[in-house]
Amino acid sequence: MSPWISCTLDKDKPDMPFNIEDYKDIEPLPITTGLPDELCEIMYTDNYKQIMGIARALVQKKEYSARALQLTSEVIGMAPAFYTIWNYRYDIVKWQMETHSNVPELLNNELSWLDEITLNNPKNYQIWSYRQSILKIHPSPSFKLELPILQMMIDDDTKNYHVWSYRKWCLLLFQDFSNELSYTDTLIQRDVYNNSAWAHRMFVLKSTAPSGNDINDEINYVKEKIELVPQNISVWTYLRGLYEYFRKDVYDEEIIKFAETFTNNVFDLKTLENLPPVESSYAIEFLSFVYSKNEATQYKSITGYKALSEKYDPVRVGLWDHKIKRIQQGNRAI
Amino acid sequence: MSLNNNRKKHIKFIERHLALLPGSHEAQDVNKMAIVFYAIESLCALEIDTKEIYTKNLGWIHKHYSKISLENDEPIAGFVGSLTMDIAGVNTISLPNTLFALLTLLILDDRAFLTDSIEMGRISSFVSACQLEENGSFMSALNFDSIEASSVDSNDLRFCYIAVTILYLCGSRTINDFSRYIDTEKLVEFISSQKCNVGGFGQYGEPHAGYTSCALSALKLLDSLDRLSEEFIEKSITWLVQRQVSNIGCSKFENENNASYDEFDHGGFQGRENKFADTCYVFWCLNSLQILTPDWQTLCNTSLVRDFLLNRTQNLVTGGFSKNDEDDPDLYHTCLGIASLKLIDESFNGVLCIPKNISSSLES
Repeated sequence: MSPWISCTLDKDKPDMPFNIEDYKDIEPLPITTGLPDELCEIMYTDNYKQIMGIARALVQKKEYSARALQLTSEVIGMAPAFYTIWNYRYDIVKWQMETHSNVPELLNNELSWLDEITLNNPKNYQIWSYRQSILKIHPSPSFKLELPILQMMIDDDTKNYHVWSYRKWCLLLFQDFSNELSYTDTLIQRDVYNNSAWAHRMFVLKSTAPSGNDINDEINYVKEKIELVPQNISVWTYLRGLYEYFRKDVYDEEIIKFAETFTNNVFDLKTLENLPPVESSYAIEFLSFVYSKNEATQYKSITGYKALSEKYDPVRVGLWDHKIKRIQQGNRAI
Repeated sequence: MSLNNNRKKHIKFIERHLALLPGSHEAQDVNKMAIVFYAIESLCALEIDTKEIYTKNLGWIHKHYSKISLENDEPIAGFVGSLTMDIAGVNTISLPNTLFALLTLLILDDRAFLTDSIEMGRISSFVSACQLEENGSFMSALNFDSIEASSVDSNDLRFCYIAVTILYLCGSRTINDFSRYIDTEKLVEFISSQKCNVGGFGQYGEPHAGYTSCALSALKLLDSLDRLSEEFIEKSITWLVQRQVSNIGCSKFENENNASYDEFDHGGFQGRENKFADTCYVFWCLNSLQILTPDWQTLCNTSLVRDFLLNRTQNLVTGGFSKNDEDDPDLYHTCLGIASLKLIDESFNGVLCIPKNISSSLES
């Protein structure tokens, strides 16, 4: 029995639990198995064969009913990747909408059911797109109602790509970006390496036309986080993103000086022997890129890339050699 | 250490997935066609004569081929993932299952089917029906009772890649061939819309190695890589090479603070910034790189990649590969671990995800 089937799916029988007896009149459509040339043959349990047999028969008959809806829940519990069953369930819900007196309540119940499935199958592909489909037909969707499941899933895995994507989809749907900077700040405080939180923050900025002052605040914000942990690719990428997108890729003296505080004068060295310790290879990479943009400072850029090869990020020697070659051919490093 | 030291164990590990499976595998029932492809492709990459062994199973694979009759038109067709999903009169075929089946049939050299232009046209029409008019991307399946793209599916770069690859296997080669079935211009625009500022592809600006591989492979098959700017290609190469995890130089500072950093991941690839290295992301990153530049083997360190796969994620006791050194090995990571090693040996077609000796038959 599934505990989540407690919503009022059937006005005559509220809280009707799943009961196999309700399907007695259905002639099951059995699964074909046990063939001599079969691969990956599964020793199906009797329960699986029974539920699937009934589900196959109901889909074929296109039965739209409360019991059909409950059966889809059973099937999804056993085989969440069975995409056709999600489709069938969606059509049953749309059919219920035609006669239900309170459509928002009906769809909210559906979303609650989906919460349970989501918590049990965090990596399932269907859950988020199904959720989107329900919100699209919901007469009064609410971002507030989406927040609990989003929060639970992020608490479970703070870098879950599907959850972050879904959150951004919601922001665009509800056009509500008001809490997002403080939300990402909470996650960044928890883990400054959370690249998804940084990418989300950039998405919010790009979607909200921030003022010049807002961007100054952002630059100060990320600088603080760089000072906290200089060897972190996410913060340097974010800093570069701010300049690229909101500052026309023009890097002022102040930001160059800031980055240089992490590079221990490496760019002024005449020789690469006895390279000093530095705190961040990403600071060197950032400055090497900035210096590559101007012919007068390109020699510094080459020094930076050579130092990365030599000591600070030697695994990527092939990439740094490639950057140097580009500069020598008259290109920017990128 | 080489793959050959452990070859017999890998073969046994893989073959087990094709044999009788306990009831605990029921949740994977609907993914059977994926299992069949991962297993037979991996065995083929390990130079097993898969054609000799599995030709006898062709009949069973063909049972998964399902036609949807249309009133005034030719039927459309594709494959289901399992006979459990084969329900007369219900649209249960999907793009991924169709790709897995076609690639398996290609490995098993089922020429009679693959050169049947009527069937290939029906499959191509199915691909056509899955494309969304609004933005050119693809759903992976149809609504269960009508010939329209599914109302509840996602439409991301995976299905764009799969759609294009199916059309390629069905005979499309030039952009004009593809355009007989799909709106290639809209598709390329959709793929471009998933470009990220920092390089790579992903949703809403966060690049992801898996999506990047899908986007680049699709553009490669569409002969449309020239639609990417030189600057974006350079950024993407940089982003991809940066995904190789290192424990020397400044990287070692991350050991103390970064909860998603493990110094023993050295040489492996991660799928996104500040994530652990993982066998499958080795494949997605290397495949993306080899599409972008012929110099990929000098841009990243492939000898460290080999060490990561052979010494860390390969399971020397049971055979197979896992995603890291903690989980049990699984078929998916085994497939992509072997594929990565063969890609480095230049004997693997990463775009189609099959050994080169199989893909070469498509070129002749």
